[in-house]
Amino acid sequence: MADRIRYLDEVMAEIDAEVRRRRASGDLPAGLERELDELFLEFSPVGLQGRARLRETLSLVDGSAYVDIAVPTASNKAVGSYIKRAVRKGLGWYMNFIVAQIVKFAWSVSRMFHVVVDHIEDLEAAVDAHRSPDLPAALQPSASDGASWWAPAAAEALAGVRERVVVADCGDASLVESLLAAGVDAYGVDPSDLALEPALDRGVDVRAEGVLDHLDVVADEMLGGIVLTGSVQWLRPNERERLLDLVSTRLAVDGTLVLHSASPGAWAASAPAVVRDLAPGHPLHPETWAHLLGGRGFAVASTIAGGEDRRLAHVGDADADADAGTVNAVIDAINDLLLGPTEYLVVATRER
Amino acid sequence: MTAVHQFVPALLPRDATGDHTRALRDALRAAGWESDIYVEAAHDELQDEATYFEEYPSRARPGDVLLYQLGTSSPVAEFLLGRDEPLVLDYHNVTPESYYEGWEEHTAAKVALAREQVAALAPHAVLGIADSAFNARELEELGCRATAVVPILVDDEVVHGAVDPAERARLAADHGDATVLLFVGRISPNKSHQRLVEALWVYRRLYDPAARLHLVGPAVTPSYAEAVFAFADELGLSDAVRHAEGLTKAELAAWYEDGDVFVCLSEHEGFCIPLLEAMGAGTPIVALDAGAVGETLADAGILLPEARPATVAAAVDRIRRDDDLAAWLADAGRRRLEDFAAATTRQRFVDVLAGVVGREPVVA
Repeated sequence: MADRIRYLDEVMAEIDAEVRRRRASGDLPAGLERELDELFLEFSPVGLQGRARLRETLSLVDGSAYVDIAVPTASNKAVGSYIKRAVRKGLGWYMNFIVAQIVKFAWSVSRMFHVVVDHIEDLEAAVDAHRSPDLPAALQPSASDGASWWAPAAAEALAGVRERVVVADCGDASLVESLLAAGVDAYGVDPSDLALEPALDRGVDVRAEGVLDHLDVVADEMLGGIVLTGSVQWLRPNERERLLDLVSTRLAVDGTLVLHSASPGAWAASAPAVVRDLAPGHPLHPETWAHLLGGRGFAVASTIAGGEDRRLAHVGDADADADAGTVNAVIDAINDLLLGPTEYLVVATRER
Repeated sequence: MTAVHQFVPALLPRDATGDHTRALRDALRAAGWESDIYVEAAHDELQDEATYFEEYPSRARPGDVLLYQLGTSSPVAEFLLGRDEPLVLDYHNVTPESYYEGWEEHTAAKVALAREQVAALAPHAVLGIADSAFNARELEELGCRATAVVPILVDDEVVHGAVDPAERARLAADHGDATVLLFVGRISPNKSHQRLVEALWVYRRLYDPAARLHLVGPAVTPSYAEAVFAFADELGLSDAVRHAEGLTKAELAAWYEDGDVFVCLSEHEGFCIPLLEAMGAGTPIVALDAGAVGETLADAGILLPEARPATVAAAVDRIRRDDDLAAWLADAGRRRLEDFAAATTRQRFVDVLAGVVGREPVVA
């Protein structure tokens, strides 16, 4: 049994290698699979979104609101047709009376739906007026970096994970390669085809899609680890909820989540003004992630502060000098707001 | 005399649940127990084998055990909730309604009702029999106090039956040496037929431009089936995707034998009988590891962690290029199939039910 499983694992590894080779050779352009999915949605009522879907459904209601009382009378047998005509003629007055009331009811319902849909569209227009424009691509958060301060901590947290590990917003996939070098079966996803090109050239297993789209198509409990960085800091609240739902189902029990983010204070102090103004969301405190993850069955194993740290040292002896105490309190406030660790890493384990 | 009577919403010929119900009745009778089948509806061919379920009270006798074949919504569920006899569920899984939402709202409502009925029945059952551990877990989560995993009884005629030679010759002449990817199952959103079409498109692009996809099964969700075939047309695959339904057992055996690789990319399966049929035909299997598929397949096929078309195409190509691997998989399939031998399963049902006969009903 163990030999058979080992053999199948080897075959699967060859299949994965073949896919990587095809991607690297350009036989499988980045984004091709996503384009296929999007093409299918064009043929699907599920693919219709928002207004189009409402209108499509409404047209179905309109189409079925008319009831025809002219029952077909064709028959394979001559007598059958005669009987059907007789029944239709005999029951015509009765059917007409009933159907007239049904049609009246159906049109009333249809009218009500039209009013509701019109109202919803008015509401959507009002909401759209408050929507922020997308961030310029040049200002999107930086991708994961194998040489970053947190890469060794991520590799350590994921050491020994046997199942596959996905790195979100992997960029040039240097972190993926670091993990592969450490014996972790890692691959990456990133919505930017351009960012992935160097990785594809090197034959690294990366896919051109966002982390939400990717996790959507991964089967439950298939992943041993998930590394979140980049866009996880910028998600809208509803997207963050969706991400947490996906992470808590796609990750196997005992699987490891590694989450890297800028700290909110550093982000508020140092992110470009355009980013601060237009970002759909903003980085959370590590305690908030711990709270959100705890509600979905995760236990936070560690939180590590890192990145740039330019904190000012305290002055004088606060116990002996009241002025020094006042100055140090101001220094603490400045440190917290502007100069403390600019990033952090949360490592959590799915417990249930 | 001990009696274990079965209840099933619909008793149909050439239907997995119908065949299972009748085979189980025969097994129970062979074990010396009384066993009749009560239904909400029965096909004309099987009217003599079924009794309308509301007639049961006039035939009820002390000591009866009622066994419900549960896989869809039915008034039979409400009826059984009102009975005092010990209730056993034989759970074949119900597809979550989310798969039908947007495609077919009335089916979504029907399966939602079915899942409500499962939730209501589970705490009342003295035993929940499930085709797979995957199904057993669902029953346990719904409050079923005791569960046992016993596979569905599979029709030997399909798994090991004769092949229609005319159909075999027709299929061979139709596609020549082209690779044939085969899937058998209802055309329904949880089966992800669009992923099979995507896989075919990538496979033709990378490995075999003449490759074909053979789909066998009724289009039970018409809007989804239309979308799948329109999608195939858009990709220029209208001549490469063949669909068949209503096949005889011998014709179906020919389609299995004709397939080079059986590819299952279903996202939700409670057991997946076609895997066993493919094993019986010696057709190598590539399948997405979702629902109970991994459990049914075990090590008798290539289990994929994701249904990406490039990965599926590479897996099919790996099998096509390596005769030793194809033979190894066919052999592994036949070995795995022995675990589902009808005689073993029949005995397992009798053993499991023997532990229930004479028990008091559960008051939930």
